[in-house]
Amino acid sequence: MRLASGPVLRELLAREWRERYQGSVLGAGWLALLPLAQLAVLAFVFGTLLPARASTGALPYPTFLALGLFPWLLFANALNRGVTAYLDNAGLIARVPLPASLYVHARVLGSVVVDGAGLVLVLAVLVAFGLRFDMTGALAALCGVAVLALMALALARIAALVQVFVRDLAAVVGQLTGLGFFLAPVLYERAQLPASTAEALGWNPLVAPIEAIRHGLSAQGELPWGALGAAALVAGLLLIASIGLQRRAGRHLEDFL
Amino acid sequence: MTADAVRGATSTDALVRVEGLAKRYPVVGARGDRLAALGRLLLGRAPRREVEVLAGIDLAVHRGQSLGIVGENGAGKSTLLKLITGTLTPSAGRVVTTARIGALLELGAGFHPEYSGRDNVRMAAAIHGLAGEALAAKLPEIEAFAGIGRYFDEPVKHYSSGMVVRLGFAVIAATRPDLLITDEVLAVGDEHFQKKCIRWIDQYLADGGTLLLVSHSVYHVQKLCRQAIWLKDGRIEASGDAFEVTQRYQAWLEQREARDRAAAADAVAVGDMRVTALRVDGRTVPRIDLAMHGDLEVEVEITSRDDRPPALSLGLLRADGTPVYGVDSLMDAADARAIGDGAFAFAFRYERLPLLPGDYVLRAFPMDAEGLRLFAPAEVALRIRGESREFGLVRLPHRWGAP
Repeated sequence: MRLASGPVLRELLAREWRERYQGSVLGAGWLALLPLAQLAVLAFVFGTLLPARASTGALPYPTFLALGLFPWLLFANALNRGVTAYLDNAGLIARVPLPASLYVHARVLGSVVVDGAGLVLVLAVLVAFGLRFDMTGALAALCGVAVLALMALALARIAALVQVFVRDLAAVVGQLTGLGFFLAPVLYERAQLPASTAEALGWNPLVAPIEAIRHGLSAQGELPWGALGAAALVAGLLLIASIGLQRRAGRHLEDFL
Repeated sequence: MTADAVRGATSTDALVRVEGLAKRYPVVGARGDRLAALGRLLLGRAPRREVEVLAGIDLAVHRGQSLGIVGENGAGKSTLLKLITGTLTPSAGRVVTTARIGALLELGAGFHPEYSGRDNVRMAAAIHGLAGEALAAKLPEIEAFAGIGRYFDEPVKHYSSGMVVRLGFAVIAATRPDLLITDEVLAVGDEHFQKKCIRWIDQYLADGGTLLLVSHSVYHVQKLCRQAIWLKDGRIEASGDAFEVTQRYQAWLEQREARDRAAAADAVAVGDMRVTALRVDGRTVPRIDLAMHGDLEVEVEITSRDDRPPALSLGLLRADGTPVYGVDSLMDAADARAIGDGAFAFAFRYERLPLLPGDYVLRAFPMDAEGLRLFAPAEVALRIRGESREFGLVRLPHRWGAP
């Protein structure tokens, strides 16, 4: 049966959008309000309440934190929303002959677009308060975001499929994402850690994209092009693995929903 | 058996071609079954425990055909449709489709309960490639066809099942697929909407549309389909002309029902009288085929232990045991003719038998001369052949007048 996947993906994305904001008083206003509120909290807590923590060279700690936290949220939200995409759409999958992975793609893409827009907004505020970066830094940050999104997509495709067979996985992914938050340089600069720990954390493929974004947009620190390339390679391999998994186990996905 | 009457599966102009199709569902009731199934699938093996619901299905559906699928619950009808529409993956065999399919499976074409009718229509239309301005132009038509008023903008979870079908059918009507697949859709809507759907399908077929219809309603299959297949236990039991297939299916249902009733108390006495011969049209056969409005000669021989002349009760029953017509020799003052050795013969004739097509039973009960006791009967199966969409058991003489 031939299907028009383009319009369907657009419609699924529109549903993602509505699911987030339907029924709320502010509606899509949350798109702007939420990241700005989060930024204001960071500035208050780490700029005023606990100023002792704000010692990261020339970069104010709230800015340092924002440049790590929002990219991390982009990755973590996309992954966590994608994990349950098949189970949440089981009714549709049983009745509508769409490529099942479309549901995961819509979830991840919808999440990345919303959090990406939030990141841009936060960046605009930080620029207004003095943040400066050049084109090379912006390109590194863009590549970092792309690698994070690709990583989230690949992991979400794998996790969503395995979740159909192992229903406990969504909770496990939630916990692992929480652990990942501390294993990635969101709250801290890796250079401040003992050398052996910093080197070990460098094997985490999420480190390079976050550092590329932070270093690129703050014009501080070295741009980790090599590590970013390696992270992109890992994301690519994970995507290939997810396609292989889909071909094997996803062929009869509907039988297990 | 293949769906040979539904034309050969090797034809190249088929909108749908199904070859050697089989479907087995994994059994995943116990804890760990899913994980084990995942492991086996990754190794390229089938799940350890499976239940087969379809096997060896071959059929082809060509442009302009209308094919009904009948069968009892669990026969595999819905699974077959899902395999054809692509929402299920075959365990064996293949399905080749070359058409734009519009499917209404299990009520409502996959509507999301949390979204409004309008939102769901947008999604359903997008699946059929209808979006943007084309959809905007069609939306009023869809809304009008569904006829659900203000509910169009309410979440689908507030709909009745009939309203869901209305909405689903409205989308199908607007997108006019090459092949329309419906699963028990007409059983849900109210009578007015059923008629509206049937009118639309009639016109769709007249315009060259192709229909694949699953229904428990023999009437709907006979009305809308020229051909039919009967699925039984996941296999094609019969295929061909819609009337013949549905009549065979209905007869099977009725016979099964009759067998279920066999435990009912048997009021007949045994011993004193028994039927020694039951001939229909001069033949002693277990079953006879007869055209509608044909004549039927019945001869019955009865032995009487005490040489007293017996009476005879003749009954016509539907195959499920529903009485159609009964009469006995005492009512009509018809006497038996003695043929020696305590045996007696009756001759009886049905003229222009007005039974509607289907399976029946002719039953002959010996009775004592007073008509007080019935003895064990003899019977012969009777199949009436013909085409008729009339309801019931017999055709009653009638005439339409000017209003």
